[in-house]
Amino acid sequence: MADENDNERIDENQRPDKMFTLKKWNAVAMWSWDVECDTCAICRVQVMDACLRCQAESKKDSYGKQDCVVVWGECNHSFHYCCMSLWVKQNNRCPLCQQEWSIQRMGK
Amino acid sequence: MITLSQRLKRKNDSDSGIVNRAPIRDRLLVKEAQEMSQLLPASCSVQYHNENDLSKFTLVVQPTEGYWEGGSFKFDINVTEEYNMVPPLVKCATKLWHPNISENGEVCLSLLRRHSVDGMGWSPIRRLNDVVWGLHALFTDLLNFEDPLNVEAADQFRYSKEDFKSKVTEYVLSYARE
Ligand SMILES: [Zn+2]
Ligand SMILES: [Zn+2]
Ligand SMILES: [Zn+2]
Repeated sequence: MADENDNERIDENQRPDKMFTLKKWNAVAMWSWDVECDTCAICRVQVMDACLRCQAESKKDSYGKQDCVVVWGECNHSFHYCCMSLWVKQNNRCPLCQQEWSIQRMGK
Repeated sequence: MITLSQRLKRKNDSDSGIVNRAPIRDRLLVKEAQEMSQLLPASCSVQYHNENDLSKFTLVVQPTEGYWEGGSFKFDINVTEEYNMVPPLVKCATKLWHPNISENGEVCLSLLRRHSVDGMGWSPIRRLNDVVWGLHALFTDLLNFEDPLNVEAADQFRYSKEDFKSKVTEYVLSYARE
């Protein structure tokens, strides 16, 4: 990966906020933006609402809300259980902090 | 020009009554495609293959500095149905001489790695915008001679930057003119 000094070569046309983002990405490899702590970073729906998948699949009147629970990891990051159970099949790490994923608690 | 909202509306019309096989991808794409177009780097443009399908498009990168300046490089991007659990599939459709892109168009960008042991690969918190900026940065910030896909190009750079530069230019003139 390019080091910090290479940022001097960034195109002047690039927006300042993106320069920051790119620089940060090079520096820490992982970042996120406008991800609020109560939003599932995987499907980008509030964790208290049903996840994007449940919203798409359920009948219009129920929205599957009662089945779609929230899961908290040991790292304190929270996601929809539906979203996280799909992701851990790919990679058993928290998508936000990259720590090994283990469940701290589940609920609403 | 067709706006995203028009595109979306037509899509909904054509989809009515049909079970959508990739509801999550398509819902994410509506937001992500819009975000991508708003934050597109000045040297990039996006061409959709079909106005009703946000999942297949070509990103054109025209570097304004560096070795590949003056070239026009096309990346075919396919957002598969499993998105965002897996990264989009990316292939470089323009032949070029680059340490991180093979002559066959395979692209080596950590973000696009489906399975990652080092925490640098794909994560569902990433968005199309990140993919675009990553590909764009392959010509500047993320250009990497240390872990090359095209080993010959990286070796050449090590022995003679002039030779490397002229081969890059030769390829740009042969394959990457607009
Ligand atoms: Zn979710
Ligand atoms: Zn759910
Ligand atoms: Zn975490």
